[in-house]
Amino acid sequence: MSTPLVAVAFSPFARARDSFMALAATIGEMGIVALRIMSRLWRLDLDGRELMRNMYKMGVKSLSIVVVTALFTGAIMVVQAAPIVKRYGAQQLLGWGAGFGTLREIGPLLTALMISGRVGANNAAELGTMTVTEQIDALRALAIDPVAFLVVPRFIAMVTTLFLSTLYADALALLGAAYAGQALIGVEPMTFYNGLVSGLLGVGDVMNGLVKSVIFGIVIGLSSCHFGLSVTGGAPGVGRAVNATVVASAAGIFIVDYFVSFILG
Amino acid sequence: MGMDIERAADDESGGVAGIVGRRALQLVSAGREQYSVLVRTMYYVARGKMEGGVLARQMYEIGNRSLFLLTVVMGFIGTILVLQAGLQTRRVVPDLSMLGASYLELLVRDLSASIVALMLATRVGAGIAAEIGSMVVTEQVDALRMCAADPIDYLVKPRFLASIVMTTVLTIWSGGVSIVTGMITADVVFQVAPKTFWNLSLVHASDLFICLVKCLAYGAAIPVVSATSGLSTFGGSEGVGWATTKAVVNSSLAVIILNFLISSAGLIAFS
Repeated sequence: MSTPLVAVAFSPFARARDSFMALAATIGEMGIVALRIMSRLWRLDLDGRELMRNMYKMGVKSLSIVVVTALFTGAIMVVQAAPIVKRYGAQQLLGWGAGFGTLREIGPLLTALMISGRVGANNAAELGTMTVTEQIDALRALAIDPVAFLVVPRFIAMVTTLFLSTLYADALALLGAAYAGQALIGVEPMTFYNGLVSGLLGVGDVMNGLVKSVIFGIVIGLSSCHFGLSVTGGAPGVGRAVNATVVASAAGIFIVDYFVSFILG
Repeated sequence: MGMDIERAADDESGGVAGIVGRRALQLVSAGREQYSVLVRTMYYVARGKMEGGVLARQMYEIGNRSLFLLTVVMGFIGTILVLQAGLQTRRVVPDLSMLGASYLELLVRDLSASIVALMLATRVGAGIAAEIGSMVVTEQVDALRMCAADPIDYLVKPRFLASIVMTTVLTIWSGGVSIVTGMITADVVFQVAPKTFWNLSLVHASDLFICLVKCLAYGAAIPVVSATSGLSTFGGSEGVGWATTKAVVNSSLAVIILNFLISSAGLIAFS
């Protein structure tokens, strides 16, 4: 039986419609997860010990990749700014250029991408494994609310981790930039720091990045919890869920970044 | 000797020196594993023999299926970058006529290749590790070995070649997308006419060369790093999750470190 010509001609539209509906469904389900988390947070109904455990596992254990990423990112900022600095001989502007780039965009963005890769993916894998091995159902059978016990502590730990990591990464990236500037284009670290505090940058730039980091944390937390809890189909299903989590978080981070940048100005 | 290093890396004693030494040994053995996968992949690539269909399917998986994600992300990136750069530059110099020239230079030399690679490290890296990891857990990789087919030849090589080609292609496409969105933003927000924006005076041949070197390096690194963590999966579904996480983190780190190395080498070589 051959497909009718009309169906073939409209199949790209049908596919676009299907993927749009799938996207809408995913966003809607994430919204439901968000509402559930909000309702438990409102009642302060969450497991304290699980919160501490996740804070340690997500925050402290991610420190090494945050450090490496931040130092290299700062150095890359300087390498990219080097031709402009050389062209105009504007050594005192290097601190300002690297500073605003790091504090407003690159610091929060790259930290969020790395944390989404490590913490978000890991969390989806963990929740996914619990779902496939029916541990979530077991919790429900014991009259323990899985959202209050598992999801809310992870969500809070993730947002906190990303906020603190961004603060830390901002400082380290600027340090990396200062010394990369000295090594690669011969700008003294003192000149760099002077450029940083010359008055062109303010607390507003730091706050801008930190507000972003909180919103990125919410995006990562929601997507990883949602995809983790909706796993079906054994080990390959967990792999697919992790994949979907990192893709959704990365795309979400960039899209949200646009709107936040636009609103905060 | 490999066994010794691994045993020492699992040893749980000896204060700060012990921790540092253990980390170093772990790093060495991980690096050696990575290197071995890379060398074996290169060997099979050099030996030729290739099924065209497999390569085409991987190119579709890696390239075409990332197209939508990359178009959306790079479109937003172009807008954000021009917006932020314009707002900041206006604080220092009122004249924005060089905005486009600097933006194009930065995009060609670094941002288009690096952001595409970071997105591919998440999407493609996680995909490769999840797929190969599931195969390891369900003993399909062992079955391949039983059939005298090296998993590196059969699984990693097509992904390696497809990723190198598709990273380059996607970088060019995404660069185009972010140029267009950047141009629109500059026109709408800062009243910089597209003709003024499209100023290639700062884009040199060396920038294009660095961009291509980056595409090749990222395209080669992502599948090798993710396949290594996929092949080292153990345990059930939890193991697959771990392997996928490791693939995303390691290939993102690889992209960032390669970016630093290639950019510094370019800076020293071309100035």
